[in-house]
Amino acid sequence: MELQDVSIDFGDGPLLKRVNLQIQSGESIVLIGPSGFGKSVVLKLFAGLLKPTGGQVLVEGHDLNALKPLQQALLLLKMGMLFQKNALFDSLSVGENIAFPLREKTSQSEEQIQERITFFLEAVGIPHARDLFPDEISGGMQKRLGIARALALNPQIVLYDDPTAGLDPITSRRIVELILQLRREQKSTIVAVTNDMARAYQLADRIVMVVDGELIVTGDKDQTLKHKDPRVAQFIRGALDGPLTETSA
Amino acid sequence: MLKAARNIIDDIGGCVLFIKDVLRTAVRSPCSLESLCDQIWRVTLQSLPTTGMAGFFVGAIMTVQFTMQIKAFGALGYLGGLSTSATVREIGPLLIAFLLSGKVGAFTSAELGTMRVTEQIDAIRCLGANPLQEIILPRYIGIVISSFFLLAAGLMMSIFGGMLLAAFFAGINPDEYLRHIPTIVSPFSIGTGLFKCLVFALVLASVCTYKGYTTTGGAKGVGRSVVSTAVMTMVGIVVTDWITSLISEAALDMFGGGAL
Repeated sequence: MELQDVSIDFGDGPLLKRVNLQIQSGESIVLIGPSGFGKSVVLKLFAGLLKPTGGQVLVEGHDLNALKPLQQALLLLKMGMLFQKNALFDSLSVGENIAFPLREKTSQSEEQIQERITFFLEAVGIPHARDLFPDEISGGMQKRLGIARALALNPQIVLYDDPTAGLDPITSRRIVELILQLRREQKSTIVAVTNDMARAYQLADRIVMVVDGELIVTGDKDQTLKHKDPRVAQFIRGALDGPLTETSA
Repeated sequence: MLKAARNIIDDIGGCVLFIKDVLRTAVRSPCSLESLCDQIWRVTLQSLPTTGMAGFFVGAIMTVQFTMQIKAFGALGYLGGLSTSATVREIGPLLIAFLLSGKVGAFTSAELGTMRVTEQIDAIRCLGANPLQEIILPRYIGIVISSFFLLAAGLMMSIFGGMLLAAFFAGINPDEYLRHIPTIVSPFSIGTGLFKCLVFALVLASVCTYKGYTTTGGAKGVGRSVVSTAVMTMVGIVVTDWITSLISEAALDMFGGGAL
């Protein structure tokens, strides 16, 4: 996957300015950065939910936004996405949330679909919640369900928008371990957004900071900790004084 | 003022483009019959009692009004015909459509708006499905069919309501009330009423699905969409009522017929 000279503007100045990023197959990239600087926007660009105002978003060498709707839909089937607030279908039960993509996009029999639901619910550790509705389960379980639904079609690329948001540290760690375990099993590429640096180090092959319309590739954990850009240094240490707080002030 | 006018034009343009996308989806990738029947069943079941009640009272009100007017002329025998003609051709479809815009329109707009702001619509697309096909098309067609049926059922109830009130209020027995209906209410009048019902159903379905689908901005945005749906639908219904009345008059002049 690749961003080539991508810019995006929602009408109040550019959020991303001609940014470039290459992601190799099987790689795990974590996007960090202050709120409101466009981390989720980068994910949505890859998912085809937003169109850039300039540049190209390439997936498997194809310009995502130049494809015909049918071709684009086929390419998007290779991706799964966990949304920041999970975006679970609240009118469907836990099991039916996972069944939705299987019914829509595969020709599996009902028996096979039920088997897949069981498999995924066990994989994410919530088999007992099968017949409950999303509003009847805890935040951590909702997150697990979101992950299970994102993985239902065995995507080669998985986009995680803040997978540990609002979770306690122990559940957060478990969720990230689950993501890594599923990544090993499915051999998928991961692009994740998080501001929890401990989880970012746990999850990332490479960390990328989204700030001031730029993408700063900071590298792995050690390289990030030693990065010379003062914005990166301030962010990962959570310092109150520095260029980031000066910008926002 | 200029901004408000621009917003109205934007809304009308956006709605027309949205309907074009919905129709294109209907032709290229229709929704499942199961989801369509589910929508028709849900909308009809939810709104049938209130629509029936509204229809009953519209007919009752018209009967009371006409009784007071025509009693002085000693023409109470024509009460059934006059009251039914006015209800079926004009007041019935209009008032019942207003009621449906508050009930079906607001519900659908809030439901779709919530799905939009909680990213459920984005999730549908990410899971390889087409949101227009999955959630809009069944609702759009379902609302058109159900609303048309509900409006027609409401008109039937208005005749019943008028008949009952005529018996209580003016002392006219049901046979007498019904006897003059065919002399004043022609098939053309009924056709006009049903045509209006269909047009109002299309306005209602178009506005509420469009406003819900294009909601932005969290809970406040959902609130804005619901209010905007109610306003746009009612204005749309009044405007299309005027247009369909003009068309009906023109058709009546063209093809003749003295009945009201």
